[in-house]
Amino acid sequence: MDSTTLAEVSGNIATVGYGLATLGPGIGIGILVAKTQEATARQPEVAGQLRINMFIGMALVEALGLIGLVAGLIF
Amino acid sequence: MRARAAVPLDLGECALITAATNLLLAAPGEDGGFHVPNIGEFFPPAIAFEGTIFEFNRITLVRFVAALVLCTLFWLVARRASLIPGRAQNIAEMGLDFVRVNIAEEVLGKAHARPFVPLLTTLFFAILAMNITGVVPLLNIASTSVVAVPLILAVVAWIAFVYAGIKAHGPIGYLRTSLFPSGVPWPIYIILAPIELISTFILRPATLTIRLMANMLAGHLLLVIFFALTNYLFVEASGAVKAVGVVTFGAAFAFTIFEIFIAALQAYIFTLLTAVYINLSQEAH
Amino acid sequence: MNDVMTLAAEAGEVPEGIWLFIPPLYDVIGSLAALALIAFVFVKKVLPTFNRILDERTELIQGGIARAESAQAEAKEALEEYKRLLAEARAEAGQIRENARVEGTAIVTELRTKATDDAARILENAQRQIEAERQQAAVSLRAEVGTLATELASRIVGESLADAARQSRVIDRFLDDLEAQTVADNA
Repeated sequence: MDSTTLAEVSGNIATVGYGLATLGPGIGIGILVAKTQEATARQPEVAGQLRINMFIGMALVEALGLIGLVAGLIF
Repeated sequence: MRARAAVPLDLGECALITAATNLLLAAPGEDGGFHVPNIGEFFPPAIAFEGTIFEFNRITLVRFVAALVLCTLFWLVARRASLIPGRAQNIAEMGLDFVRVNIAEEVLGKAHARPFVPLLTTLFFAILAMNITGVVPLLNIASTSVVAVPLILAVVAWIAFVYAGIKAHGPIGYLRTSLFPSGVPWPIYIILAPIELISTFILRPATLTIRLMANMLAGHLLLVIFFALTNYLFVEASGAVKAVGVVTFGAAFAFTIFEIFIAALQAYIFTLLTAVYINLSQEAH
Repeated sequence: MNDVMTLAAEAGEVPEGIWLFIPPLYDVIGSLAALALIAFVFVKKVLPTFNRILDERTELIQGGIARAESAQAEAKEALEEYKRLLAEARAEAGQIRENARVEGTAIVTELRTKATDDAARILENAQRQIEAERQQAAVSLRAEVGTLATELASRIVGESLADAARQSRVIDRFLDDLEAQTVADNA
């Protein structure tokens, strides 16, 4: 059976995939930094430790976004 | 006899001068069209020794220039280091103290920081020097934007935190504390251990690499796009469209400042995460 | 390794897929060289120099503080010494004054005693002299009594033969005179 093409989109779906992959980490890092700001405003003397925890969390969250980028480029 | 700088340049003026020079040096595209930069930017043709393992291209050259400039600057400052610091020594000491106090001692604690300070200092300044060449007018490419340098740095960081963990717990003990964290009922270990394995030993160096590389890559592409666009609009576009060139030049200027900031930030994050991973390996879960 | 070089590292050719993330060998060697240079300069030259300067500076400041503290301790010790000597001197002065007072009292007492003794002695001498003179007077009186008696006797003898009564009257009168004279002498 001959299928009729109604519409066609061309381009690289990897970029769309990466675009979707940035949603989660974007929100995640936003929440992370916001909470750190809030906590630092409440108790400035532990700001150093809070900042370090923020970077640890950011490393884990950003990993997913980076895997999205790499996966798009590799496959 | 030290010459006093007449007026010190602040970041904005530096970025403006850099942007203007970059603009003047921006290569015009092919005739009649706008040359959109793509990934090919990062794989330039070889300059010499093509085909052998000593082949180097523009990016490798820039990398050597950055390393040489960094080493020369610090060598000169260290050679005439005195008890009461002059200006140059003050700046160098500020940089070194930043790494030692704000990164090493804050994360690892004053007692354990000492053995890792040389590693962290080297990482920070190497990444900073190599990142900043992305905005320097004649060099215009950050040598951390191709995967070689970030990969090697990430492997170094990986060796560092695995070594720290093995030294603290012994090899079997280190594997046990990192793959089987305490406080979890044992059936969950079946899923948790592979996840921890991938997360700790594979993802950490991989994300370090890709984070650094992708940031520098994206930054460079943005800068190239804006400068090329401004050049094209000023030189080859017609009439009223030239005015848009001002907007793109403004954007290029803003992104130059942003790129300087990102260069420093990425160096800081890389070094900080290395210190954090070392710390996490050393402490018992 | 050949694959890496031929596939991905040809002049200006853009690698695809996974080769994007695998560096060509020349790149690895190049970056190893650059990073080794940076690491060498930092670890061997720059960091030891700055660490040495930091240590020297710390020691200078610490040494300065230590020296200031020891100078202060010395000053305090000298102050204590000075106070002690002052207290001693004061005690000594008090004691000397005390001694002087005691001696003064002793001298006064001694003088008084001596004066009393002298007075007593003079008194005694005077009394002895008076006694001696009394004795002498008594002795001379006795001698005079002899003479008087002899005179009386001669008178009596001159007159006695006349009258016995008149004799006794003369004797009585003479004795009364003598008694009266003795009483008058004694009074």
